[in-house]
Amino acid sequence: MSSHIIDRPKNRFIDPKVLIRIQNMELLARTVVEGFVTGLHQSPYLGFSVDFAEYRQYQPGDEIRRIDWNVYGRSDKLFVKLFEGETNTRVLIILDMSGSMNYGSSEVKKSDYAKMLASCLTYFAYHQRDAVGLLTFDDGVRDHIPASRRTGQLHSLLHTIEHAVPAKGTEFKKPLHFLGEVLSRRGMVIFISDFYDEPANILAGLKILKAKGNDIMAFHIMDDFELTFPFEDMAQFEDMETADKMHVIPEYVRNQYLNVVGNHIDALRKGMSAVQIDYTLMNTSKPLDAGLFSYLAARAHTV
Amino acid sequence: MNFLNPFFLIGAAVLAVPVLIHLVRRERSEIVPFSTLMFLLKIPKRMVRQQMLKNLLLMLLRLALIALLVGVFARPYLMQSATPDGAPTGSGRGVVLMLDNSSSMRYGQNFEKMKSEAVSKINALGGSDRMAIVGFNDSATILVQPTSDKGKLRAAVDALEPSFAGTRYFEAFALADRLLGQFGSQEQHLIMISDFQRTGWNRSSRESVVGHDVKGEMVSVGVTDSANVGIDNVSVDATSFVRTYSGRIVARIHNYRRDKDVTVPVALVINDKEEARKNVLVPASGTALAEFGGFDLALGFAKGKVKIVTDDPLPQDNEFLFGIERREKLNVLILDSGRPRASFHLKAAFTAAPDLPFNVKVANASVVTPEELATQDIVIFNDVQRLSDPVRDRAVQARRSGRQGQLVVLGNSSDLRWWETMSGFPAKPLRSVDVSKESGKTVVYLTSYDRNHGIFKRFQGSSRLGLNTAQFNHYIELEPKQGAVAIAKFDNGGAALVESPVEDRGMLVFASSLDMNWNDLPLKPSFVPFLHESTRYLTRYNAAKGWYSLDESIPIIGTVDGGVARVIDPSGTQKQIGEGELKAGEQLYFAPETPGFYELRVGRNSQILAVNSPSNEGNLEMMVPEDLLASVQSTEAEARQTGTFVTDDKLEYARRQMGWWYLLLIALIAGIVELYIANSRTQSVRRVG
Repeated sequence: MSSHIIDRPKNRFIDPKVLIRIQNMELLARTVVEGFVTGLHQSPYLGFSVDFAEYRQYQPGDEIRRIDWNVYGRSDKLFVKLFEGETNTRVLIILDMSGSMNYGSSEVKKSDYAKMLASCLTYFAYHQRDAVGLLTFDDGVRDHIPASRRTGQLHSLLHTIEHAVPAKGTEFKKPLHFLGEVLSRRGMVIFISDFYDEPANILAGLKILKAKGNDIMAFHIMDDFELTFPFEDMAQFEDMETADKMHVIPEYVRNQYLNVVGNHIDALRKGMSAVQIDYTLMNTSKPLDAGLFSYLAARAHTV
Repeated sequence: MNFLNPFFLIGAAVLAVPVLIHLVRRERSEIVPFSTLMFLLKIPKRMVRQQMLKNLLLMLLRLALIALLVGVFARPYLMQSATPDGAPTGSGRGVVLMLDNSSSMRYGQNFEKMKSEAVSKINALGGSDRMAIVGFNDSATILVQPTSDKGKLRAAVDALEPSFAGTRYFEAFALADRLLGQFGSQEQHLIMISDFQRTGWNRSSRESVVGHDVKGEMVSVGVTDSANVGIDNVSVDATSFVRTYSGRIVARIHNYRRDKDVTVPVALVINDKEEARKNVLVPASGTALAEFGGFDLALGFAKGKVKIVTDDPLPQDNEFLFGIERREKLNVLILDSGRPRASFHLKAAFTAAPDLPFNVKVANASVVTPEELATQDIVIFNDVQRLSDPVRDRAVQARRSGRQGQLVVLGNSSDLRWWETMSGFPAKPLRSVDVSKESGKTVVYLTSYDRNHGIFKRFQGSSRLGLNTAQFNHYIELEPKQGAVAIAKFDNGGAALVESPVEDRGMLVFASSLDMNWNDLPLKPSFVPFLHESTRYLTRYNAAKGWYSLDESIPIIGTVDGGVARVIDPSGTQKQIGEGELKAGEQLYFAPETPGFYELRVGRNSQILAVNSPSNEGNLEMMVPEDLLASVQSTEAEARQTGTFVTDDKLEYARRQMGWWYLLLIALIAGIVELYIANSRTQSVRRVG
């Protein structure tokens, strides 16, 4: 079996500010993933071999062509030959398209970054022969494409991602409740969001999904300004989801703001870690490699 | 409160900058779309308020810091408001009354009129008014510190007497201004009662000393048509070496009347005896000379005066005093070895002019008798090998008695060992030095001498009389004995002229000959003065000055004997000048206060000095009082520039009012507090992510 340990390549990822100019998500995803794969200097299928895994007794319903006739000839019993590569995973990417994701201190908004990440993961997963699905949400479920490996699925997913537009507020309960109903098979659930809700609410929903046997990855998308609060001038800050306004003197609140945001992130990281959810904080000013590596590592555990 | 450098107050405009920035930024408050307010809403309001307060405090501290620094640079000062009498300030008037008691106020009834005016001004004071009185002539004095006690003020006016001194207005105004400063916020008045003599305007500075807000009142008691005739100068040779005065006494008579010529009888009086009298016609506003001469003088000092026999309103300039001393010529004996022309240059120095006060005789040291030597005022031993024992003993005796000074000139013929053994000889002659053989140089120069010594005073400030031009190729190396002083040295450090110790005065030893063999000093312009001054010093002879003016300081020079200096004034009062004994060559000054004859005594020596009132006090021509005030009072424009042109007085006040130091201290504390608060505010910012 091939090793799952992957050395981190160097100098291969493209700045998000460059990627944002690529409008077509498929092209973008291909650019990033192929570049990522090329950077690995190894086959993109490393870790996902089609090596023999085990025999299993034939059960009614199994395909006849999978019976190992050689074994039957020797033992007079029907065994089905199972391969590692055939253990396909269902990957569902949940993309937060709430109003707060529309924020961006540079030309790369959080939603753009999230969409790029989602596209790349979709492309990556699809070409690893996983069944990939998508769910976008804001204060409710907006688009849902169930996981599938059918022809045209990739195009459909990338098209949906490309045309997703952030709007409205954030409500985690509804999409999580929805998922609880529609997810019948366990798989991998990838959350891409800014997680602007109380950590307790978010964790409560994720725990339910986790309890159903899903592997969950959480990509926490944050803008650099949200993480450093470098504002200088006194201003009216307007909430992009609720349109509420607040008079803010950055100099006065910076320390407290950073404390509160830090506490929020700590709560999410610790809460998710406690239930074996992979948590990755992503700064929109940084390349996407961290996200892809996280996915690769998690995928390796899954297969 | 005033400021020494008010221009720095412009810097206070900087205070507006942070406030303006704050206002501008507030106006430009924009709407910033932000992903969520949920985190901002979680920040406790108390923390924000604390931060606001901190920032407000910081801003106030920084503004205070700027204001304090501006204040420090502007140098604030408070005019002294405390009053000696503890009188209340802030109400009533503060008045400085300036009273002229110069010599010219003796004219007619001027002084009485001045007193009467002063009393009326005192009586006119209100209940809350305060007044200070300044009396002035050529100096100014505070007679009464600011007070509202009219009795005290009147008493001071009553006690005021006219002086014999001249008039100087500027110093009086400066003192008055200082007193005005003590009135603080009170309305300030300046009243001057004077004859406004034009000659008193001695303004030496362009500075205005009286503030522009001071109300001035000039009260004139002077006369516009003075009827005064006086003597303003007498020219006299103060020393006569002959019985019948050979010089001329010339008195300059000044007629200050503008309207007519006058003829006045002028008399010469010597020792209270009228020697001559003549009528002199003096033109209006002009002068005439009266000359006298040919009178006999007894030995010693004579008190002389020229007087105008008239009864004009200002009597004190009708007499002019002078002193004349008749003395015998100094007997100078030059002893040498008998070598031809050995004393040629020495003798020539003492006989260069017919009226020099010296009787010179040259003799061979081997043939001189003790009796002949004893009668001399000064003996110069010019390169004498040695003396016979009787002559030597007599010489020592004469010197110790103080009647004779001795100058020993060492040269090629001198028996150095013999001279060393002579009693009271101030130096040990070591050897004869040939300069060219001793060092790389061919000659040495006499470069260093005690410029304060009586002998060398004349050489001060005169490049022509430089002793350092003479070249010496030989000299005798001298080692001054204990107590003796080398008062002149060669440029290689060797002693050139040694004076005997204080307790054994009267002898000088010169280390090189004066016959042109060892040096070229006799050819130099400094040779004759050097010898004359040395002789005068050794014989205690000082050429007297005929008279002094009251505004001069009179020098008292310690003679070779030294002693305590005493002055007996015209009233007979004896006063010691200086502390302790006045040593030989030392100089003191005393300032006479009244005209008349003074007797000056230093040890056993005595001298008569004549002192006259300042001659310009007789000129009563007036200036316009308002012009006088305007010339010392600052205009409003000048007052605005006070920071640029401050008076010494204000600087003095500023020195006393060290408020700016406190401002600087407070600014320092504010700076430290600001640093502390600012640092605590910018403590490590937690970076998330």
